[in-house]
Amino acid sequence: MQWFESVLVALQSLRANKLRSILTLVGVIIGVTTVIAVVSVISGMNQYVASTINRLGTTTFVATKFGIITSEEAWLKARKRKNFQREDMLAVRELCESCRRVGGKIETSRKVKFGNQSLADVNIRGITPEVNLMTDTRLSEGRLVNTNDNLHRRRVAFIGLEIKKQLFPNIDPIGRVIQIGGVGFDVIGVAEEKGSFLGQNLDSFAEIPLTTFERRFGRRRSLGIYVQAASVEVMNVTQDEVRSILRSRRNDGYHDDDSFAFMTSESFMSLYRSITSTAFIAMVGISSISLVVGGIVIMNIMMVSVTERTREIGIRKAVGAKRSTIMLQFLIEAVTVSAVGGVIGVLLGGGVAKILAATTPLPASIELWSVIAGLVVSSSVGLISGVWPAMKAARMDPIAALRHE
Amino acid sequence: MLIKTENLWKTYDMGAEKIHALQGVNLEVVKGEYIAIMGPSGSGKSTLMNLIGCLDTPSQGEYTLNGIKVSTLDDDQLARIRNREIGFVFQTFNLLPRATALHNVELPLIYNGTPPGERKRLAERALSIVGLADRMTHKPNELSGGQRQRVAIARALVNRPSLILADEPTGNLDTKTGKDIMDLLDDLHAQGNTIIVVTHEAEVARFADRVIHVRDGKVESEERHKRSSAA
Repeated sequence: MQWFESVLVALQSLRANKLRSILTLVGVIIGVTTVIAVVSVISGMNQYVASTINRLGTTTFVATKFGIITSEEAWLKARKRKNFQREDMLAVRELCESCRRVGGKIETSRKVKFGNQSLADVNIRGITPEVNLMTDTRLSEGRLVNTNDNLHRRRVAFIGLEIKKQLFPNIDPIGRVIQIGGVGFDVIGVAEEKGSFLGQNLDSFAEIPLTTFERRFGRRRSLGIYVQAASVEVMNVTQDEVRSILRSRRNDGYHDDDSFAFMTSESFMSLYRSITSTAFIAMVGISSISLVVGGIVIMNIMMVSVTERTREIGIRKAVGAKRSTIMLQFLIEAVTVSAVGGVIGVLLGGGVAKILAATTPLPASIELWSVIAGLVVSSSVGLISGVWPAMKAARMDPIAALRHE
Repeated sequence: MLIKTENLWKTYDMGAEKIHALQGVNLEVVKGEYIAIMGPSGSGKSTLMNLIGCLDTPSQGEYTLNGIKVSTLDDDQLARIRNREIGFVFQTFNLLPRATALHNVELPLIYNGTPPGERKRLAERALSIVGLADRMTHKPNELSGGQRQRVAIARALVNRPSLILADEPTGNLDTKTGKDIMDLLDDLHAQGNTIIVVTHEAEVARFADRVIHVRDGKVESEERHKRSSAA
């Protein structure tokens, strides 16, 4: 008997036994819905993180004293390294031939005040203007910190949207004087909203000239040296060039490791992956348990179905159905039921993911591969759980089956 | 010779004791014959029918159907023989309850791979022969007992089998309807079909050319009826 016939028979029997079908479907639907929703949220997060991290771009890297530290041991070791100073940044800028731009940034936290309003723990960055060209700081109003500001150590500040909202709810901040760590700064511009990243507000910052930062808040902090290569192709060349400049300035011995580290968007990504991949696999694994439960439900109901339809099996065998034909019929029924459940599950899972994305900070992205995987997995669940009942049906003795009441 | 059984034994192993349902049955049936197999319950007539119908294989002995040695075949080969050579008519009709009359009649054709168009044509013709041309899209529960048995007969006919095997075909029908069904079988016989009816009713057996009485797993006696259409 032909596939198509079996599918029709399966659909027919689905329709004829509505309650039973719904119960069977529920198992698969819940499983597929969960998996699709979880996968969508995970891949949404991955994409979101990737797009956030990639703001650094593929041609930019940052040389820092610490780099990405993943153990206490590494931290203790890195702590003893020399700080990067503005002079290191200037040396790179002067000597590096394949570098397109070189900038520097130092960060600290300070209280920011305007009038009697204040905001604690604002991220204060001393920067050179190149840094803004390499990162994604976008101007909303006013202007950015420029070269002249650095040259003249001007006390000017370019502020994040959160500062404007908190300190200047009703007035234009530009031209006003804010107190950063007790020092007055003229507000020159406001940034576009950046939102939050993994719970951290990205709009609570103030950018001031690097030179002003050093004069007002000291030179004890290590600088991040921002380097943009001329192109993606020369990224490695540029890194090597910068590495040798910095090594020689820091007197790193021939056999010693670098006393500093480069951070690229790739290195952030791999850090993110190493933190989250195991958790994500576990999440998918746990949500797959409901698929297994769905499979057991299908098997159970198929067993009942086979027993109920003993007579039908007898009739089919009497008029010439072979074992393989009966087996195929029941397998196709199981697969059809579970595939229908899979389709519904994919739709529901997509819906759940969309609802989650709309109502919580979790982003979601419905991936084609997860949809295909959902359908393939649910059909396989049907196939696997259908095997036993189908074999039971196929092995029935036609005489006994025909006599079955 | 359509059917030839030689010393057919069927033994069921019931744990402690062995039950000999058939004990050396020798039977010959030629093409076009109309035979009734009679016997009380427990006589072995059902077992004999199952063997003749290729639903089961003998424990001992040879069974040849239309030149094919059936006794040595496996399950799938038996299914094929049933599909090609035998049309079953059961006491309880045994129709698929959710399928239309037409689909029920098509069933044997589905299993031998007849293309859908041809299948529909053959099934419609078989239903016309049994007088149900206007009931093709009805489901069994929308048909009377007699009509259901006619659908079953159409299903038995549709593959042009060499043998129509009817097991108590009137057992679930009232006298009048039973008579109609027997008349229909009679017509089919007149058209050249070989028919074996298994029954315990003399009324039913009366239609046959030859009545074989089975008792205690053996052929007890045979009687020939004087009928016009013997082979």
